[in-house]
Amino acid sequence: MRSRRSNFELACRLAAFAVLGWLLGGSMMRSSGRRVERASTSALASRLPTWTRAPSSVLLHADLATTPEARVVDWLAALERSGHAVTWSGAPPAVAMSSEPLADPQGGVRIELAAPARTSVVLRDDASVVDSVRVNQLGAAIVTPLVVGTLVGDAGGQRFSAPAPDSAHLRAIVVIGNAGWEGKFIVSALEERGWPVVARFRVAPNVDVTQGVALPLDTGRVAAVVATDTTIQSLGAALERFVRSGGGLVLAGSAGLAPAVAPLRPGSLGARTRPSALPVDTIGLGATGYYPVAALNGDGVALDRRSGGVAVAARRVGAGRVLQVGYDDSWRWRMAGGPGSEAAYRDWWSRAVAAVAYLPDAGVKIAESATESAPLANLVDRLGPPQPTAADKTPRPPVDGRLLLVLIMILLLTEWGSRRMRGLR
Amino acid sequence: MTSEFVFATAQYESGDWDSAPLLPANVIDTIARYTEIAVAPTGVVVALNDDRMLRYPLLYLTGHLPVRFSDAERRNVKRFVERGGMLFVDDHNHDIDGTFHKTATEEIARTVAPLAELPNDHALYSAFFKFDGPPTTSHELNGWGDNLVHKHLLAVRRAGKIAVLFSNKDYSSEWNYHPESKRFLTVDNTKFAVNLVVYALTA
Repeated sequence: MRSRRSNFELACRLAAFAVLGWLLGGSMMRSSGRRVERASTSALASRLPTWTRAPSSVLLHADLATTPEARVVDWLAALERSGHAVTWSGAPPAVAMSSEPLADPQGGVRIELAAPARTSVVLRDDASVVDSVRVNQLGAAIVTPLVVGTLVGDAGGQRFSAPAPDSAHLRAIVVIGNAGWEGKFIVSALEERGWPVVARFRVAPNVDVTQGVALPLDTGRVAAVVATDTTIQSLGAALERFVRSGGGLVLAGSAGLAPAVAPLRPGSLGARTRPSALPVDTIGLGATGYYPVAALNGDGVALDRRSGGVAVAARRVGAGRVLQVGYDDSWRWRMAGGPGSEAAYRDWWSRAVAAVAYLPDAGVKIAESATESAPLANLVDRLGPPQPTAADKTPRPPVDGRLLLVLIMILLLTEWGSRRMRGLR
Repeated sequence: MTSEFVFATAQYESGDWDSAPLLPANVIDTIARYTEIAVAPTGVVVALNDDRMLRYPLLYLTGHLPVRFSDAERRNVKRFVERGGMLFVDDHNHDIDGTFHKTATEEIARTVAPLAELPNDHALYSAFFKFDGPPTTSHELNGWGDNLVHKHLLAVRRAGKIAVLFSNKDYSSEWNYHPESKRFLTVDNTKFAVNLVVYALTA
């Protein structure tokens, strides 16, 4: 029967040998694996020259909190192509940005952002801060009047960029209908906004009043057609060809009733609604009634609903877009609306036309190198998906070997001291 | 409330705004006779001091007496013009030395902008029928007024479009008869009214 003290001494000895064995084993394992060179995002750029001189047996691993700048990714990709094993790990935010000009004579740029939910993004251009936005779901869109130089986004330290788009070269808007206040004031609103407008109003049988030079209906000359009534029927099949090739069409009021636009319209029109009581003072948009969309086509989208039904709907047809606006006396809003109604009317109609207008050379702008516009996507494309190193899979305890030797000494001395106190050697 | 064209006569506080009571019906008859424009069968009278005057983007104003707008009338006329309305003012005296001319032109200058001669090749004169300028009236040389043939109309233009059109031709007398009487005329003297309305609706 061993005494308690002898058990303690045995435990000390076994513990000392166990620590010694673990230390030796770890040393042997390390010497048998590949050497790993690691660097964080901030140190990565300065380590690249060293990594370039390292033998190809060394595993190069980047721990990335954010995606490094373009030249660093390029350098890492070059190292990988030259035979080095290059890996990376971490979770840089997946962000992307593009910009495109608005179809608006007064300019403007639409910026589309993609970023993880609840990410705050600050946008700057070469002049100043443009805007900041918090991404709620998949992304965000910002409209800004002007972008100077390059647009740079910053999402928690992750920078990404897109160039300012070229200003759009706008074609004319054709307004067609019977002579009346609706057509007249739509033309006024668009002209005041800066659109080149060609108007054709029917006054009498075979008598049209034209304003501007009549243009052939093609996207080389015309961005959109605005029809205020069924006189659009006179355009016949040319209208459908125009829309399918990318032209815009706004069907205002009863224009959607014309047979020629039946294949194009977002939905069939119902009977014109009339308010139970007419406004006695100022008149707002739709306050005097409108033509509702009775039944949307399969791909029609309702944009404005009122108590009597859908007042504004949209649809894509081929490469073009069609907007159905039920209002047939929106001019009353401009003339007899409250303060500011004239400007509001102008903005409303300009936006409606801009939503469908053909925009030549309006490709969405991203940076020439995707590294800037969508850094994470580019990183994965160049270096593959993130992967932990072998070292990451079997993490070593961060213990200094010298401390372990001291521990072994203490254990052995404790065992020796205990034995000596018992009179043993 | 419909979107058809409604001929509106402006009522103002200071003068005899209703001095040509048959004119609206005659103009409406002419519009219906020559065009497809949807036109209301009867005209309306709107007070310039009532916001509802903004519901009629073409207003006809005439009279013999001095024109002095009240503050409300002045405010509404200013808004009317700024929002794209067109005010047609006709001097029923056909007299450039008369009180209507002097006071009305002064009031327009004060409320909107000074009047200037409208060139006789302006789009107004070819909006529907072709004219070489403002058609003369049988009243210009009738021994009353200034006894002049007025070669130009006056206008205030905004962004190239007529906002205020001022006439000393006395169309108010020329067109102030029952539409049925047109059949006794060899030449319809109301054709220029079509140009006025078509211009207002399309320019």
